[in-house]
Amino acid sequence: MSNTTESVDLLESTEALEAVAEETLTKRERWALAIERSLLAPARIVWMDIRARVGLLIIFGFVAMAVVGTRVIREPTVGEGERLEPAFSSVAHPLGTDSVGRDILGQIVHASPNMLLMILAGGVFTTVMATSVGATSGYLGGRIDRLIMSVTDIVMTIPGLPLVVILAAALSPQNPLVVGVILTINAWAGLARAIRSQVLTIRESAYVEASKAMGISTPSIVRRDILPNIMPYVLINFVDAARNVIFASVGLYFIGVLPYDSVVNWGVMIDLAYQGGGLQSMAAVHWLLAPLLTITILSFGLIMFAQGTDRMFNPRVRARHTTTPADGDASSSESPGEQR
Amino acid sequence: MNTSSDLQAGTPRTAPDPILRIRDLTVRFEMDRGTSRVLDGVNLDIHRNEIIGIVGESGSGKSMLASALLDAVVKPGVTEGTITYSPPDGDDIDILDLSAEDLRQFRWEEISMVFQGALSSFNPTMAIGEHFQETLEAHGYPVGPGMDRAAELLDDLYLDPDRVLSSYPHELSGGMKQRALIALALVLDPEVLVMDEPTAALDLLMQRSIVSLLAELRDKHDLTMVFITHDLPLVTKLADRIGVLYAFEFAEIGKTETILKEPAHPYTRALLNATPNLDAPLEEMRPIAGSAPDPVNVPEGCSYRTRCPLATPDCEHEDPLLEQVTDTHRVACHHWRDAEEIPLTTEVDK
Amino acid sequence: MSAETPVISLSDVEVHFETGSSLNPLADNDVVRAADGIDLDIFENDVVAIVGESGSGKTTLGKTAVGLQQPTGGSVQYRGQDIWDAQKLFSKPDIPFSEIRRSLQIIHQDPESSLNPHKSVRSSLEQPLKKWHTDLGPEDREARILAMLDRVGMSPPHDYAQRYPHQLSGGETQRVALIRALLMNPDLILADEAVSALDVSLRVEMMDLMLELQDSFDTSFLFISHDLSNARYVAEHAGGRLGVMYLGELVEIGPAEEVLQNPQHPYTKVLTWATPSLEITAATEPPVREIDIPDPVNPPSGCRFHTRCPNATTYCQQRTPPLFLDEATSHQTACYRVDEDSEYWTHEPLEGATRDR
Repeated sequence: MSNTTESVDLLESTEALEAVAEETLTKRERWALAIERSLLAPARIVWMDIRARVGLLIIFGFVAMAVVGTRVIREPTVGEGERLEPAFSSVAHPLGTDSVGRDILGQIVHASPNMLLMILAGGVFTTVMATSVGATSGYLGGRIDRLIMSVTDIVMTIPGLPLVVILAAALSPQNPLVVGVILTINAWAGLARAIRSQVLTIRESAYVEASKAMGISTPSIVRRDILPNIMPYVLINFVDAARNVIFASVGLYFIGVLPYDSVVNWGVMIDLAYQGGGLQSMAAVHWLLAPLLTITILSFGLIMFAQGTDRMFNPRVRARHTTTPADGDASSSESPGEQR
Repeated sequence: MNTSSDLQAGTPRTAPDPILRIRDLTVRFEMDRGTSRVLDGVNLDIHRNEIIGIVGESGSGKSMLASALLDAVVKPGVTEGTITYSPPDGDDIDILDLSAEDLRQFRWEEISMVFQGALSSFNPTMAIGEHFQETLEAHGYPVGPGMDRAAELLDDLYLDPDRVLSSYPHELSGGMKQRALIALALVLDPEVLVMDEPTAALDLLMQRSIVSLLAELRDKHDLTMVFITHDLPLVTKLADRIGVLYAFEFAEIGKTETILKEPAHPYTRALLNATPNLDAPLEEMRPIAGSAPDPVNVPEGCSYRTRCPLATPDCEHEDPLLEQVTDTHRVACHHWRDAEEIPLTTEVDK
Repeated sequence: MSAETPVISLSDVEVHFETGSSLNPLADNDVVRAADGIDLDIFENDVVAIVGESGSGKTTLGKTAVGLQQPTGGSVQYRGQDIWDAQKLFSKPDIPFSEIRRSLQIIHQDPESSLNPHKSVRSSLEQPLKKWHTDLGPEDREARILAMLDRVGMSPPHDYAQRYPHQLSGGETQRVALIRALLMNPDLILADEAVSALDVSLRVEMMDLMLELQDSFDTSFLFISHDLSNARYVAEHAGGRLGVMYLGELVEIGPAEEVLQNPQHPYTKVLTWATPSLEITAATEPPVREIDIPDPVNPPSGCRFHTRCPNATTYCQQRTPPLFLDEATSHQTACYRVDEDSEYWTHEPLEGATRDR
């Protein structure tokens, strides 16, 4: 460490400020470096977390089911098997059949593309809307903030279900992506408010002010300084929104607003199973359990993945699991050089 | 008769009466990396009605010492050793041996504490007066006389009792909250008041004023005070004796004047030189090279030797214990006799 | 003082904040007068230290000087160009705002939040380079970052570059913040209580570093502190000025040594008493008539210090003293007592105060 009470070396300082590299990288090398830093390194970090791996595997499993499974397994038809065949009793119907003889596994698999698209649309729409509105409003503050928040409040107070019903009835959507968006049409408002509150706090941080002093543009500041702080919260809310889409869709199907095609929705399966006595008798319980467990496992996978990304967003968590030279914190004693 | 640990603790031969005797106090945390000892075999006597300043930088263990005096070290910390409290009337008590119920009574009635970062200690939903009432009720003290005493204390601290007792925490300034906290700590008439950085977040003027007020309080209420801080110049205005903590042990203990004028430990001398103050000539202020040790990896032998200009090979082999310089001055250094080789900026004439 | 154009010139700057909710346009909100009637010039290669307690407005003053806080009155000029005019759309400023922005930087007090906790040191330091030195490739930026880390004593630089803020000590974080500011070669850096959160033994080191770099990079420093000893260290070493603020007003300013050896304003004298030295002196009562600072929403009339001043008279209650300049020493003081002919001497002292010299 240099002894800072020695006299100043003017040349040294100027050299440091104007230092450039001795060799220039080629364009290709620069690209490789950029990709490494922005894509590969974070991906590696995420992969290191066991939760992320588990989550990713589950999600991948579902995607595979939707893409490949639908080709491999036959589309279920009424009466293809015995009624209410129990699970694990035959190879042709591994998960059994329902009250009209349709293969349950087939139903689950063939519902998955629609379901995944719907959840994806709903989750992404909610999260993107909420984050952009909430973060921008919170960061800019002042009159713009008040204006945006007033609009958000109005959206939030519009009764959700009637609005969705009206939209669904009016638009009669077939595309699961559109269905997903409609189902979450005003769910983003509450989340936007929550995000705005968090942003209000972060915006007062010293490093945000330093970025402003450096002339960094507002979108850049929001993206680099503010968002990473709230990402874990955003991701968990994404998972939540995704799950809500599933259950919200059930309601719509039953009101008859969405065209009720026999095998299109896990939530519908649960409802049919429930009506068909799935809670009362052992005979129909497999029909109830199969879609229930499917939804649970998918949720679990999403949550695990969201938690696993925590490491990517939070350097402190990352460091706890790797050896670093400066790790000097005792569990409750102060670290040297800092006052608490 | 003085035992060797008594000698270490600074007990003069004609003993003023110690109210607290700390022997072999160690606080350790078991961590994956090893055992972290944030206090290592500390010995100290605190005399009745004295104000003793414990000075150390962050990471020296000083906050742990405060917590240990009330047996309040956070889990999973393990506190070992003995802290013997001698009440004015009654038998000696080993604080670390008290049962949970006895400890609850002991705290605040015998020894009371003002914590670091205490400005957020008040419940924002309760008025200040309610905090006092709650404390009185929890200890079974009569509320009427208790609140009268509270008002008197607030007045001693230059606060308007009626206004402060009916205010909520956010309505008071930092300085007012800190003084209210001191009053709260004294409401049950304890014998000892331990303060951990009580003025750290306050303005200069308020810090200095509170220090003056504390001296008055000590005289009026017959208190013993332990003032823990990193701010050496501030505590010299208040303390009778000063103990300097470095790397979880005492480097030096002595009367304030002695510590300022004739410190015997190289760290104390370096600390005095590194402290910016108004009087010392600018060129003489020097930072201390190196950094404080990690509690898991304290250097063998003397923990200061890696930064000490007087270090020799035997400093590595033997950890120096507190030795007597005079009746009232103890230092833990093998080379304290050569300490004058390190010039003090405060001695240089302007 | 030289006759060159100051780098930053504050003229009659006023910063007032409204507290309370402004959803109700008819409500009468409290106004906090954080800074009032401030005139301050900062020159090239100049060091000015401003001292004050909380509520004195020193941080507001600092941020106004570097363009992070817009004044509600008065003007802030960078080399003669009004900063806020330069930002207006469709204006054609002599000096474009982007250049002004680059020239005014800040180092914050709290090491824990001065750097983005999600970015490595390298990433944080690349940001200004990417923005302002677009001619540099990634390898050039790397070389420059490593060179600067080395320059401030963080060796080995490779190791420090990849660390995250929580893996740095407070002193190291502040040094990185300092580098970040210097990379843009600014004309003025605001050090807002930059050493207050560091351990005592580290403060001198950090201040030495700032002084060294200030000199070699030809940057001016505006050093804000509540601690008179720190301010003294910085200002005297650099041969700069020391200013004292109280409740939003600049009450004394002059060459550091002069102000400290010869404080004229009663408040400065009180601050000197409050700054403990390493001498043995008996504990004395605070030399102010009131311990607590008045509410900044409702500052006292006339001279704002009159409610606590040990030398206040009825005249001080009525009229705010301007800054009186002593030509010989370049020492300015906002107190009637420095003016021999002032009417102050004919008025009665307030309760508990004395008019004696």
